[in-house]
Amino acid sequence: MADYNISVAHLYGDLMNTYGDYGNIIALTYYAKQIDVNVNYHLVSLGDTFVDDTVDFALLGGGQDYEETIVAQDLVTKTEQLRRYIENGGPLLAICGGFQLLGHYMIMADGTKVNGIGVMDHYTTNMYQDDLTVLKGKRLTGNIVIKNNDTGETYHGFENHQGRTFLGQGERALGTVISGNGNNGMDNTEGVIYRNVYGSYFHGPIFTRNGNLAKRVLATALSRKYPDVDWHEKLTHIETETF
Amino acid sequence: MTLKSTFARITAKSTYWFLHDVLHRGGTSLPGKIAVAIDPNILQSIQKNFDLVIVTGTNGKTLTTALITRVLEAGGYTVITNPSGSNMIQGITGTLVTTKIKPSPNGKKPIAVLEVDEANVEKITASIAPKMFVLTNIFRDQLDRYGEIYTTYEKIIAGIKHAPQATVLANGDSPIFTRGDFSNERQFFGFNHISPEDYSPSAAPINTDGILSPTDHSVLNYDFMTYGNLGKYFSTTDSFARPALRYQVTSVDELTPKYSVFSIDNTPFRIEIGGLYNIYNALTAFAVGREFNVAPEQIKKAFESNAQIFGRQETINVDGKDVTIVLIKNPVGTNSVIDMMLTEKKDFSLLTLLNANYADGIDTSWIWDAEFEKLHDTNIKAIATGGERYQDLRVRLKMAGFSDQAIYEDLTQVIKAIKSFPTDKVYIAATYTAMLQLREQLGSAGYIKGGF
Ligand SMILES: [Zn+2]
Repeated sequence: MADYNISVAHLYGDLMNTYGDYGNIIALTYYAKQIDVNVNYHLVSLGDTFVDDTVDFALLGGGQDYEETIVAQDLVTKTEQLRRYIENGGPLLAICGGFQLLGHYMIMADGTKVNGIGVMDHYTTNMYQDDLTVLKGKRLTGNIVIKNNDTGETYHGFENHQGRTFLGQGERALGTVISGNGNNGMDNTEGVIYRNVYGSYFHGPIFTRNGNLAKRVLATALSRKYPDVDWHEKLTHIETETF
Repeated sequence: MTLKSTFARITAKSTYWFLHDVLHRGGTSLPGKIAVAIDPNILQSIQKNFDLVIVTGTNGKTLTTALITRVLEAGGYTVITNPSGSNMIQGITGTLVTTKIKPSPNGKKPIAVLEVDEANVEKITASIAPKMFVLTNIFRDQLDRYGEIYTTYEKIIAGIKHAPQATVLANGDSPIFTRGDFSNERQFFGFNHISPEDYSPSAAPINTDGILSPTDHSVLNYDFMTYGNLGKYFSTTDSFARPALRYQVTSVDELTPKYSVFSIDNTPFRIEIGGLYNIYNALTAFAVGREFNVAPEQIKKAFESNAQIFGRQETINVDGKDVTIVLIKNPVGTNSVIDMMLTEKKDFSLLTLLNANYADGIDTSWIWDAEFEKLHDTNIKAIATGGERYQDLRVRLKMAGFSDQAIYEDLTQVIKAIKSFPTDKVYIAATYTAMLQLREQLGSAGYIKGGF
C-alpha cells in the first residue's frame, strides 16, 4: 500500500512532449513505487493555474518551434507561481525548450526571438550567432556524456538542439562535458543546476538512463513533503538503472 | 516536343535500357539525371501525355500509391507509377521519361500516380502541374533529420502553390491538413464509423503531437480518435472542427492482425492485412478512385484481386513457430503495432529489437513516447529484448512493468530466442537495421530465402 503521495505537475505535457520527455515521469514513478510512494500526475497546460504549493515535482519538456511559441505566451501568466516554487526549493526538471524558456530569451533557427520568463539567469542564442567559435550553423546532435562536479556522477544521454545556451548568475552546470557538445559547444557546460531546478538538453530521457539523478530528485521532493523520513536511505536500497 | 527534349528522352530511355536490360539494374534515377541534364524542361514537354497525381505524407505513401494504381487500372485507365523507394526528383523524372505510355482502355487520359518524398513535391511541381495532390498524414518521424511536422507541411504547401488548379485530396482526420493559405479546391476523407451517441469528447492523450487549433492555437478536443492525432476533432473555444468528409469509413466491423473488415461509403470491404492505418490507405485509394469516377464495385474488385499487394507483413515458420515481423521506427507506428497486437486472439511472445544506426534514427528516446504499457492488455506471455541498443529497450519495458525479460545482446542468438518462447505465435518488432540483421540470420539458417 502506498503510504505517501507526491503530486507531479507536467507543464504543457500535451504540447512540450518531443523526444520522450514524458519518460522522466515514467522513471520517477518507477522508483517511487518501489518505496511505496504514489505519484499523482497532473497536466498543467494552456490557461491552467500552476498552484505552486500543491506541487512536489514539475517537468517542463521541449517541443516543436510552433508549440514552444504558444507555450511561451502562456508561461508568462505562470511566472510568479513558478518563481515562488523555484525560490522555495521546489524540484523541477526542464529539458531542451523548457530549459530555455525558464531563462531570459531564446532565438529560434529562423531568427525569431522568443521571450522566456526569466526566473533563471541564462539565455539562448541560435546556431548562427556571430561569436560562435564552434560548430556555427550546425545543430548539436548526438550522444553525450557529462560529469556532475558536485557528486562525481556520470550521466549519459542524447542531445539534439540548435539553440546555444549561456549560463548566468547563481547558475552552475549540471555537468562538465566529457564527450559531446553541451549547452553551447564552447564552454564545456551542460545543463544547469539552480536551487532544486535541473535543466538539460539530455533526451534519453535523462531520468531513465541516469537513475541516480532520478532518485536524488525524488528524494528531494519527498524530503520537502515528508521531512521526518530518511528518503535517501530508503532509496539507496533500490536498484539504480544506468546505461 | 522540342528536338532537345526528344533527344533527352531518347538518351534517358537508352540509358534505362542499358541499365535495366544489359546490366540488370533496376535504377531509374540515372536516366532521370541524364534527361534533366540535357533538357531541364523535359517534364514540362511530356506533361500533356498524362494527368498527374502526387501522393505524399509520412506514412503509407508506397502502399497507397500501389493501391491507387490498381484502383485506377480497374477503372480502365492506363497508369504510370514509380517503383517504391524512388520518390525523389531524379527517380521520378526517370520513370516518366522512360515509360512508354499507351492510351487508356477507357478512352480517357492516362494517369501518372507518383509517390513523392515531402521535400521533393515542389521540385516536381515547379515543372509539371498535377491534377491532384493526395496527402496521407504527417507524423513526427526522426526529427533529427527531417524537421518538424509544420516544416514538413510547409514544404508540401510550397509545391501545392505551383498548381492552384489541382485538387487537394487530404486526410481530414489530421488537423494539420486544414492549415495552409492556398486557394486550391480541397476535399477530405476520414473515419465516421462511430455514431454521435457513442462519442466521448476529450483531449488527446498527452503524448500526441499536432493538436493545436489553426484558428486560435487552443488545444483541440476529439469526439473520437483512431490513432496518432487522427480523429474527429473540434475546438472548445470557437467553431473550428473537422471539415465535412467527402469519402468516409462508415463502419469498422472486424479488426484482426491478419485482416480487417469495414465499409467505405457503405460499401463493404475486406483487406488481407491488419492495422487501422491500412484502412486509411484503402480509404485514400477509394477516394482517389471515386474522384476519377471509378465505381465502388470496381474498387472493391481491385482490392480483392490484388490481395498480395497488402501483404507486407511477413509470416515465417521457424520450426513450427508462426513468426510475424513488423517494423517499428517512431511512436505513432509503434503504437499502431501495439494496437494490432491487442486484436491478436492467440497467446503470443514478443521479441523487440532496437538499433540506432542512421537508418533507424540515431536518437532512441522515441521509445518512451510509445505506449508499451498497453501490452499488458494483450495476450502476451513472454517478452525479450535485443539489438545494439537492447539496454534502452530493457529499461523501457522494465519501467512499463515487464520485469521478466530474456535479453539477447547479440542477434546471432535470435533463432534460439524464437525457439525458447513458450507460445507458437511470435511477434518480432524491430527497427530497420535490426530487421536486416534479423533477416540475415533467418536467411543463413534457411528459414527465409535470400536473406533480404
Ligand atoms: Zn532537444
